[in-house]
Amino acid sequence: MTLPDTLQLSFKAIMSYRLRSLLIVFAMALGVAAVIVLTALGDGARRYVVNQFSSIGTNLLVVLPGRAETSGSFPGAVLGQTPRDLTLKDAQLVGRLPQVRRYAPLNVGVAELSAANRLREVTVLGSNANLIPIRHMQLAQGSFLTQGSAQSAQIVLGAKLASEFFPRSQAIGQRVRLGENRFLVSGVLVLQGESMGFNTDEVVIIPIDYAQSLFNTTSLFRVLVEVNSRSEIQSAKQAVLDTLKESHDGEDDITVITQDAILATFDRILHALTLAVAGIAAISLIVAGVLIMNVMLVAVNQRTAEIGLLKAIGATAADIRRLFFVEALWLSLAGAVIGFILGQFGSLLLRFAYPQLPAWAPVWASLAGIIVALIAGILASLLPASRAARLDPVKALGKK
Amino acid sequence: MNTIDTFHFVFRSLTAHRLRTILSASGIAIGIAAVILLTSIGEGVQRFVLSEFTQFGTNIVTITPGKVSTHGGSLGAIGSARLLTIEDAIALKHSRYTQYTNASVMGNAEIRTQGRSRRVTVYGQGPDFSRAFNMQVGIGQFLPDDDPRNPRAYVVLGSKAHTELFGGDNPLGAILQVGGSRFRVIGVMASKGQILDFDLDDTVFIPTMRALEVFNREGLMEINIAYQPGAPVEAVVDDIKRVLVARHGREDFTVIPQQQMLSTMSTVLNVLKFAVAALGGISLLVGAVGMVTLMHIAVAERVAEIGLLTALGATRTRIRILFLMESTALSTLGGLAGLMIGAGVAWLLKLLVSNLPVNIPWDYVLGALALSVLIGLAAGVIPAMRAAKLNPVDALRTE
Amino acid sequence: MIDLTAITRIFHMGDQVVRALDDVSVRISSGEYVSIMGPSGSGKSTLLNIIGLLDKPNSGNYALDGKNVTALSENEQAQIRREKIGFVFQTFHLVPRLTAAENIELPLILGGIPPKDRCLRVDAALLAFELQDRAQHRPAELSGGQRQRVAIARATIMQPTVILADEPTGNLDHHIGGEVMSLLEKLYESGTTLIVVTHDRELGARAHRQIIMRDGKILTDQANDPA
Repeated sequence: MTLPDTLQLSFKAIMSYRLRSLLIVFAMALGVAAVIVLTALGDGARRYVVNQFSSIGTNLLVVLPGRAETSGSFPGAVLGQTPRDLTLKDAQLVGRLPQVRRYAPLNVGVAELSAANRLREVTVLGSNANLIPIRHMQLAQGSFLTQGSAQSAQIVLGAKLASEFFPRSQAIGQRVRLGENRFLVSGVLVLQGESMGFNTDEVVIIPIDYAQSLFNTTSLFRVLVEVNSRSEIQSAKQAVLDTLKESHDGEDDITVITQDAILATFDRILHALTLAVAGIAAISLIVAGVLIMNVMLVAVNQRTAEIGLLKAIGATAADIRRLFFVEALWLSLAGAVIGFILGQFGSLLLRFAYPQLPAWAPVWASLAGIIVALIAGILASLLPASRAARLDPVKALGKK
Repeated sequence: MNTIDTFHFVFRSLTAHRLRTILSASGIAIGIAAVILLTSIGEGVQRFVLSEFTQFGTNIVTITPGKVSTHGGSLGAIGSARLLTIEDAIALKHSRYTQYTNASVMGNAEIRTQGRSRRVTVYGQGPDFSRAFNMQVGIGQFLPDDDPRNPRAYVVLGSKAHTELFGGDNPLGAILQVGGSRFRVIGVMASKGQILDFDLDDTVFIPTMRALEVFNREGLMEINIAYQPGAPVEAVVDDIKRVLVARHGREDFTVIPQQQMLSTMSTVLNVLKFAVAALGGISLLVGAVGMVTLMHIAVAERVAEIGLLTALGATRTRIRILFLMESTALSTLGGLAGLMIGAGVAWLLKLLVSNLPVNIPWDYVLGALALSVLIGLAAGVIPAMRAAKLNPVDALRTE
Repeated sequence: MIDLTAITRIFHMGDQVVRALDDVSVRISSGEYVSIMGPSGSGKSTLLNIIGLLDKPNSGNYALDGKNVTALSENEQAQIRREKIGFVFQTFHLVPRLTAAENIELPLILGGIPPKDRCLRVDAALLAFELQDRAQHRPAELSGGQRQRVAIARATIMQPTVILADEPTGNLDHHIGGEVMSLLEKLYESGTTLIVVTHDRELGARAHRQIIMRDGKILTDQANDPA
């Protein structure tokens, strides 16, 4: 029997049991679609996080005071304080390194902002003009510490604060009071929303000197460093460590985190999560395979007489095996294709419902979904097909 | 036809096609097993996280400085947010429900002794800290009940800090330098292990006031209050607010009862568990489609038998019940098998992978079982109706 | 040329041993018209199945056209069935989901004949058996006589040298049965060996050689002159 004939004959068999075949295809399609939609979700989340991270800055090093023996666990360094300060002088030393394009010292605190008869507590970022480009922030209006105004008491308001305090008037040029000091609003940030647990819409940015006097401190919370290029990140990290060790009397008491390292960790975790979810969804493909096996066994049973006849008119065992094998293949192929379409459609709906989530199913997931479906179908057909092929023609013909 | 006969009849139809019955049931079984295994891991993680958080006691309220909210209208007082101080903590000692108060600061510093040094997390805590948080002291004692404004320079070591710096030696009485100051060791804590990657043993505890000096800092990071068990949380929070507002003039702090945190966390974990169950449910759904297919085939295959039963005087209701029971029995069987597989694998995981928390959630188990019965019923409905509607004459003729 | 020597076929029915064929030897030349008769259980169908290579004897030898076929592999036997033997069954054995034309086409498909040739040969067969206007009907839509005509068309489409018919009229009424027999006899007249198993005396008497079986043995084997 030629291949086209085998394909056609088994296709006819499938079409003659329409409802049954539809249900099997539906079951298979469900599994494939689940794999595709869930990986789209997982990979979308991964891309979302990666995008968010790169929106925070590129080629970024974060210098923070304190150091622990084990790099993973040092809540003190992240949350608390250390005896030795990281100072503005340290930041300037770092800024002079050849690998560094620009740097921004950072102090973070909370203070009360008041203006126009309103008052609220806000998060205050004290830094220099570089903070805005390094952190990829954008000003909707105005400027911050442009040349020539480096020492003036300027303040940049987050978008939400600007609209809260000055709902009807232009915020730029207004005077506000932060703690005990007066500031001139010089800029307003673009409305950004929450990103990585940090909402820039409700912060204010002031020059670092004012921030340090406001919080009565000489130590820095962080120094953000932008390196010239990606390839220089490692050498820059080492240079920063060496420079500050020298400046701190040979004490190795700062930590430098590269954005790449954090990003890689997140990327790895979310990738593993996507894989796990895809694996769980793939269990349903095995269930669909069991279903195909079951129905094919029933089909062999129902078509025993037909198999006997085919043998009587000269079909070889291989012909019969191939017929049932191809039948299962048709079913799983149809399930895989329909599942693929359903899955892509589901991902489309996801992207439609959550525009900020790039929910595209990765190619490997679509391929894996289809291939697992086909393999499940093929494995499922082996037992029924060999049963059919082994049937004794005389008994098969005798059976109604 | 009585119930026992019905059961017997259904049993015979199921055993007539043994392989088919096993395969159909295994579709459901895999789905149920997936749901149970996944929710077992989910439940295990939930319990693990909650127990990690409640090991310090649940009757704790934490006060942190600062409050975020916009006030409209005019307010006279303007100034930077006030710090939480030791005095605030002392004042709260006299709140009605307070059992213990603890003023807390935390940071990272180098500690040195006998030529060895190490960077550890330094906690500035009050003398009641160990009691409020159920921390056990291994050797010696915890920080003594000194005047919180001028405590003596004692230090208590975490167990890892102890072994790293002193090895097996008894450290009591030794002098330890923390940052720039010198402290005398008076105790070692019992090992506490790690919480979510925070090593609680690689620490030292010094009096709060001394820690503020080490870190050159004025305000506390938080004040913890352990209230009397059984006291109403709202009253505790109100009383704390009253005391602090009287001192600060306004509410420039945030009060978080641990119970609130716990319930938030619990809600999040519950949602996660449900999501995981839903993931497993996909397989169950596919298994359900399989059931529908099989019951549909069973009716088509047994048309003659149905005709015969009708001819012998079976009512339509009886035929419907027979098919419904067949599919329900099948799916329940699958559900039970899945339950055993899922629980078995969960149990094995618990044995083999020691740091993976696994716990079988019985509500989900019962839910899954009920679901498998329902799937059987639902899968049987349409085929059973079709079987019942068959015309006996036509049905008999098909043979 | 069919040459069976000392063929024995044993079945196990529960704990009983049934000798369906007991040391049977028979020789049928090409172009003969043979009827095999006997009561049910006499072994006549088993004999037919062995001649048709559907069944294997427990012992004995079978030579077809001078070639020993007992020792052939399953695939080689299938090829012989495809090319040299045509079966006609009492219950027709048409594939219910295929049309009359498709049923007739089946052996051609199994033989790997190209579609163009298949079409021509099926059309010719439909014409020869007066089934032109039934070509696209499924078996369920055909009368018993038409079904058996489709089955005979299918059995002859590969131009086999032997036609084996097992109670070909058993499910048909007398008149239609007669028509079907005439069709089969026409094949014999064109040179095909025709072997018919029946328990109908009248039908058996139409053959030129009658074999009567009982209890797995040949009782009589004699020439017959269908007057």
